[in-house]
Amino acid sequence: MMQFYLAYQPIIDFFLLSVGFGYSQQIALRAGVFSIATAGFAALGSYCVAILATKTGIPIFLTVILGTALAAAVGGVLALPLARLRGAFQAIATLAFVQIILSLLLYGEGFTGGALGIVGIPREVNTWILLAVVAVTMYVLWNIGRSGMGRVFNALRQEESVASSLGVNIGKYHIIAFILSGALGGLFGGLQSLYTFQIEPHNYGFAFIVNILTVVILGGRTTLLGPIMGALIMALLPEIARPLAENRQAVNGVILILVITFLPNGVGDEIVFWFRRRKQARQQQKRASEKEARDAVSTS
Amino acid sequence: MPSLHLDNVAKHFGGLKAVDEVTMEVRPGEITGLIGPNGAGKSTVVNMISGVLALTEGDITVDGVSLATDRADVVARKGVARTFQNIRLLPEATVLENVLIGFHRREEASILSQLLGLPSARRDTQRFEEKAWDLLRRFRMEDYAEYEAGNLAYGHQRRVEMMRAIAAEPDIVLLDEPVAGMNDVESDELATIFRELAESGMALLLIEHNVGFVTRLCKQVYVLDSGRMIASGSPETVTSDPQVIAAYIGTSGH
Ligand SMILES: Nc1ncnc2c1ncn2[C@@H]1O[C@H](COP(=O)(O)OP(=O)(O)OP(=O)(O)O)[C@@H](O)[C@H]1O
Ligand SMILES: [Mg+2]
Repeated sequence: MMQFYLAYQPIIDFFLLSVGFGYSQQIALRAGVFSIATAGFAALGSYCVAILATKTGIPIFLTVILGTALAAAVGGVLALPLARLRGAFQAIATLAFVQIILSLLLYGEGFTGGALGIVGIPREVNTWILLAVVAVTMYVLWNIGRSGMGRVFNALRQEESVASSLGVNIGKYHIIAFILSGALGGLFGGLQSLYTFQIEPHNYGFAFIVNILTVVILGGRTTLLGPIMGALIMALLPEIARPLAENRQAVNGVILILVITFLPNGVGDEIVFWFRRRKQARQQQKRASEKEARDAVSTS
Repeated sequence: MPSLHLDNVAKHFGGLKAVDEVTMEVRPGEITGLIGPNGAGKSTVVNMISGVLALTEGDITVDGVSLATDRADVVARKGVARTFQNIRLLPEATVLENVLIGFHRREEASILSQLLGLPSARRDTQRFEEKAWDLLRRFRMEDYAEYEAGNLAYGHQRRVEMMRAIAAEPDIVLLDEPVAGMNDVESDELATIFRELAESGMALLLIEHNVGFVTRLCKQVYVLDSGRMIASGSPETVTSDPQVIAAYIGTSGH
């Protein structure tokens, strides 16, 4: 067991971070917000923690809270100018947001270390901490799913006009979705910087955006299992496809196309839907047989 | 129970006067009919009341309070619900989930207690589920609770829309052709429910092409043609009005 853990620890940690970023991406998509701002939130959280941890004596766990709060606040503010945008326009505007953050990090050299980034960040985060934070995140997301907020997010994703005809303040719930996405992005960004020793703007560039989108598209946009399955595939793929290492990007691309074509809801969502449908079929059967029994009694 | 007033309301799309100089009242405890040939402006009236379209002129009030400049969600929170002529469901959600979202404006738990899964959030969900099942039974849809709404037959989809609209017990309900595409048995069932809702004190505005259906249910009927109110009054007065007869014959097929 221990040996397994040591051999695969980097993969497990990568997996857990991807799950966290995946949830940040997912909560926006789930609410019908086509945001790809997660990379920007992650960069904010990560740099906030790195700067505070290397330049001040603030307790580490407080730096993570501050990083999370900063990204959440920026998320909430970002929602305001984007309120009228939908779909592709939202995606492009949030992409512009990521680019603004990255260029601030590049040009704020005195503060952020510019292109070289920040080194010597204390390594305070390990697998267990990541695991615990992922678990807490899942618990909160589970609560959302079972509450009115989850119902509103689902409604907004499927048919905005219906939601507003029932009294849903669309702007308010888009702000909430952005704040949650920002908080999760900032939180896991902060953990990442306390894990990797060194960060640079490049970490949160195009490759990051594509990776996190892939996690959610492969895994699923609506269920808790979605990002887990997506991150699992992304983490295991390089191992399984090691002989194909040189063509890794191509293998990734092919898998993505296959999943989108044959499992359009993503692997995790499809699994959950399958179980749900099975449960529903059983309940229907049960009701039907109860009815038959009742009818039999009443006619006899 | 409040009533709804439209006062000299107009909606112009460029040069097209889709609705012009319309004044009407939808009273509590009654079903008020709104009829007229295709393109008369009936749905436009509903869209203006429900805050989807801005008014070009006039005012819309509930008990003297204006709704004219409110956003759709604000109108809904003031107790005015609606259904859509072109059915709009949450297609991936089950029938039960579609009804549950109808309770949104009755939610009491704060955002924070929802995030933390506190008892207040769970109580909301529980309360709404109980009421949703009552509605499902009332509309004889309980066997379909777990079905995906997008897969339902047309008549059942209309019922889901109805349940969702009345879930939060609005004062005023705007029904845009709620029995279109239903057979006689189905529409009679719904007619009974409409009567019950009116008896419980709600104000219903019923848009319908089937004049017979409207005259059976409504005390007061308004007739729109090309955006203008050409007649109003009891079903008998309205159906014997030469202008109304002309409007219907003029467009034929009705
Ligand atoms: N958003 C819009 N932009 C431009 N014209 C519109 C718009 N909505 C409706 N119209 C026009 O306004 C007129 C009234 O349309 P409306 O949908 O209100 O009629 P209706 O009485 O509901 O008809 P139907 O019985 O077919 O549902 C029509 O001529 C329609 O083409
Ligand atoms: Mg219409």
